[in-house]
Amino acid sequence: MVESDLTPRGWLRHQATHVRTLLMQGVGLGLVAGCLTIVQMGLLAWIVSRLTMNGVLVDELLLPFMGLVLVIILRAMAQWGQESAGVEAGLRVRSRIRAELLDHLAALGPQRLSDQHSAGLGGQLVEQVEALDGYFARFLPQLRLAVLLPLLILFVVLWLDWLAALFLLLSAPLIPLFMALVGMGAERLNREQFLAVTRLAGHFLDRVRGITTLQLFNHTERSVDEVFTAADDYRQRSMRTLRIAFLSSAVLEFFASVAIAVVAIYIGFGLLGYISFGPADELTLFSGLFILLMAPEFFQPLRTLSQHYHDRAAALGAADGLVKLLKRPLPAKPSSSEATATEKVRGSRIRLEGAVVSYPERGRVLGPLDLVVEPGECLAVVGPSGTGKSTLLHLLAGLVTPDEGRSEVSPASPIAWMDQRPWLVKGSLAENLRLAAPDADDERLRHAVRQAGLEALIDTLPDGLETPLGERGLGLSGGQGQRLALARVFLSQAPLVLLDEPTVSLDADTEAQVVESLRHLIDEGRTLIVATHHPALFEMADRVIRLHEGRVIDPQRRGRNEIEQ
Amino acid sequence: MKSSNDATLIATFRPWMKVLGRRQRRLWLGSLLMLLTVIAAIGLLALSGWFITATAITGVMLAAGIQSTLDIYRPGAGIRFFAVGRSVVRYVERTYNHDTVLRLLADLRAGMFTAMTRLDERVMGQLRASEWLNRLTADIDALDSLYLRLLAPPLVALLAIAGIGVLLGLFAPGIGIVVTIPLLGLWLWLVVGQARLGLAASRRRIATLDRLRMRSVEQMQGLAELRCYDTLASHRRRLADEEQALYEDQRRLGRYQALGNALVGMGVTLSAVLALWLGARAFSAGEIRGPVMVMMPLAVLAMNEALASLPGGFTHFGSTLAAAERLNGIASLQGAITDPQSADTLPTGALSLDLVDISLDYSGSGLPTEVRSVTPALDHVSLSIQAGERVALLGASGAGKSSVARLAARLIEPEQGQVVIGGKDVGQVTLADLRSRIGYLTQQAELFHDTLAANLRLGDAQADDARLWDVLGIVDLAAWARELPQGLDTWVGESGRQLSGGQARRVALARVLLSDPGLVILDEPFSGLDAATASRIAERLDPWLAGRTVIYLAHDDSVLSQVDRTIRLREGRLV
Repeated sequence: MVESDLTPRGWLRHQATHVRTLLMQGVGLGLVAGCLTIVQMGLLAWIVSRLTMNGVLVDELLLPFMGLVLVIILRAMAQWGQESAGVEAGLRVRSRIRAELLDHLAALGPQRLSDQHSAGLGGQLVEQVEALDGYFARFLPQLRLAVLLPLLILFVVLWLDWLAALFLLLSAPLIPLFMALVGMGAERLNREQFLAVTRLAGHFLDRVRGITTLQLFNHTERSVDEVFTAADDYRQRSMRTLRIAFLSSAVLEFFASVAIAVVAIYIGFGLLGYISFGPADELTLFSGLFILLMAPEFFQPLRTLSQHYHDRAAALGAADGLVKLLKRPLPAKPSSSEATATEKVRGSRIRLEGAVVSYPERGRVLGPLDLVVEPGECLAVVGPSGTGKSTLLHLLAGLVTPDEGRSEVSPASPIAWMDQRPWLVKGSLAENLRLAAPDADDERLRHAVRQAGLEALIDTLPDGLETPLGERGLGLSGGQGQRLALARVFLSQAPLVLLDEPTVSLDADTEAQVVESLRHLIDEGRTLIVATHHPALFEMADRVIRLHEGRVIDPQRRGRNEIEQ
Repeated sequence: MKSSNDATLIATFRPWMKVLGRRQRRLWLGSLLMLLTVIAAIGLLALSGWFITATAITGVMLAAGIQSTLDIYRPGAGIRFFAVGRSVVRYVERTYNHDTVLRLLADLRAGMFTAMTRLDERVMGQLRASEWLNRLTADIDALDSLYLRLLAPPLVALLAIAGIGVLLGLFAPGIGIVVTIPLLGLWLWLVVGQARLGLAASRRRIATLDRLRMRSVEQMQGLAELRCYDTLASHRRRLADEEQALYEDQRRLGRYQALGNALVGMGVTLSAVLALWLGARAFSAGEIRGPVMVMMPLAVLAMNEALASLPGGFTHFGSTLAAAERLNGIASLQGAITDPQSADTLPTGALSLDLVDISLDYSGSGLPTEVRSVTPALDHVSLSIQAGERVALLGASGAGKSSVARLAARLIEPEQGQVVIGGKDVGQVTLADLRSRIGYLTQQAELFHDTLAANLRLGDAQADDARLWDVLGIVDLAAWARELPQGLDTWVGESGRQLSGGQARRVALARVLLSDPGLVILDEPFSGLDAATASRIAERLDPWLAGRTVIYLAHDDSVLSQVDRTIRLREGRLV
């Protein structure tokens, strides 16, 4: 999706091309506003000069005054348009980038992201994408204006008095130089700060999630200290960034102020006739005042740019993290022709050939493994915990790809999936069920709930399926949460069903009920693969394979007969 | 309408004003620095205008041969002073004020987290963890506007307007008064008008952003399920809906703020033109001199600087308001479990547990019941477990086993009845004492995003590596941990995701083994383990359990051996 040599800067530039029209519109309106400012200042200076030097009465200047008011109003309108165009550009580009990221993360899948905190990823999707706003809405248009507007003013001043123009010109190149120096530092610090923010969010979420554990281990006071330390560390990091950002605008303002002061004094002395050099003796109150009024405007676009400079630094910091995510290589896809051919010929048949999966922190967890599962078969996977049962299910679900060997699964159809830790979200029971089938009506939900053995419970609830749950199913016991996740399996029509310890916290009665429901799935001709320790589930299986340290040690046909002893 | 809301507005911000009050000196000093910046800007522009006009007039008179003098050194020095002073003061002001605000935020975060650690489980469950996270981060961040954008700038702007009025009034009282009027009107619009214009959208925005964030985290956590069930697209649509709602509000707010910014420029410049017009009339009437006439509009133009930050702050007033409201909501939550005034201490050694006529009715607990618990209540349960006894507490899922354990650890409090441990009412013992004497392996034991060693040391911060290896040995993980490239320093992922389910559970058990409790409660300690491993661990666990009261929670007694007694629960009642 993203070439490996792409820099955050290049990526941002590329994104800007998608909103070029809006950006140009912003620059155009900014130029109009700039021209109107020059006209406005000229009119002011001219009016003052007529009044004081020519003794014209104020009533005779009614027309210029009205013109002045008109120019001011037009300028305000142009400014509004310029800012609004920037806002729109920022919105569109962010929306686009978020969609691209979500596509990429979905394609990567959960196992490849398991080293990332999901709050951190959620933060990247929200905060880091939002942090790009200023770059497109403000910085990029201003970057053009910061070149064009000072040039425009310089030409006007040059026409009025070339010496004054020279003063402005001399101070101007220093400014980008300083800004670049300061900006480079700010960029690096900004990146660090983004890391700090992500870390801070992860730290907080972790502590909030485990607050019961912290309470039980008497760790709350120490964790409050840790939270304060983390927050204060964040302050110190932020201040380092801010100090540099402020320093850059201070330097800029200092040069601008000095230049204005020099111009003011030069004009004053020129008007007094103290300077007999160059064009100074041609200065009039009109030209002098006009130049003085334009001097701050000469620096204003650059000052604005420096204010938006932290937008750029923030965007680059964010882009750095986002590009890293986008650069994570996607799992290699089997060529599409091969996949469809497989599916056509063999239905939902599954075949692994010498498949190996390893994780950086844990080493090889599975394989080499050969396995064929026929459509409609029920396979139980047993073995001590940590021997790769879950990884095998992830592999069969297509959530990981083998590092070596081949895996053939039908990728096109949905798979019914149930994790050891049931994924429950805050929301009603019905919303939790519909995560598996968004269009299911209440009747289908009830049917699924009945099959999962949850019906009795739901009937006692006044709000039934609309009863809301806390995060991770608080309010439900572990077994109830598991059955809710199981109900999703029944709700789905998927031909392949992958279950990871589906009856782990169930009592014998409920387990029997669930096993009975699972038998229905087998009768429907679905393929079931279950990782389990429970004899009731082995008995249901056509075949049991035993895993030890990621390898099959004991494949057994008709598992039920042999398990008995 | 605004005035009728004033009382609630003040009430909403009062707690936060109190927090600000603790750093009062820093805040006043910061505001003073802001004011100095504005004064320097006004001084620079006004003095320059005066100076140029004065020199022009003097120049013309000199050229006409009229004797005329002008002190050029003092105004020149003044201009340089204002020019340099402005840059320096501004830098100091911004650095100082941002540091102040970040200090305030760190205080607020720690304070808010403290409040959260005192809440009981039921109250915590009303919000998602990611929502709690946002209270700690985004909401508290939004409060930084309170001082930096909503309090100090309008105050400074008002003082600056008054200052301009006085400055102009020194030369022509009438002009001073008249020019102040449109500036005050502008100020009023920027503060009240912009706030009202953006109120609804900015108030919503923070909640929508929250939902967007929630959906994002949700999608990342449930990626496996969503991908397998092929429902990722429908979840994506829900996420996109939130995004669209957010962006519509942002668009609206962006345009309102652009309006405010344009109005600042227009209002200030028109006021300057008014000052020039009135000044010109006074000049024509001979009431003021030329340089003063020029100085007046230029001084007014410098007001741009004082007003420029108001539209940004006040258009987003609703965000700050909403954040303050939500944080106030947490502070007022009931359900905080607190220490007794005068505490008893628990006896040493094994502890008995007595429940005396306990009723626990989750749904009727008077919570703002956004989430009502589904778990059935405990219904007049009385039971007595002797010190040193080993008891299995059996029942189907949802029968109330975990509630008994939570009551013992005082994670929740019963509506009725008494919980007695070691002969003391749990309410009469400090939480620290109680919890250091109870070892409770919860059903969903959380591991933290930290190293394996750090997770274990929650049980005993002083434990050395040898003890960590000991307890890992008991839970049959020592061999596995030795194989890890980084051993005890292996980073354990979120909720232990880099470990398998059974391994994470055993790490949580090992953590309990590091503590020294008199009462041990193990909720399904062997779930997710194969029979061989389970019996191996049970055997090694036995010596550690000796001399302690033990309660196993389980749905059947198949894996449990050597219990003195079995107690069964069904739907919240003893069988």
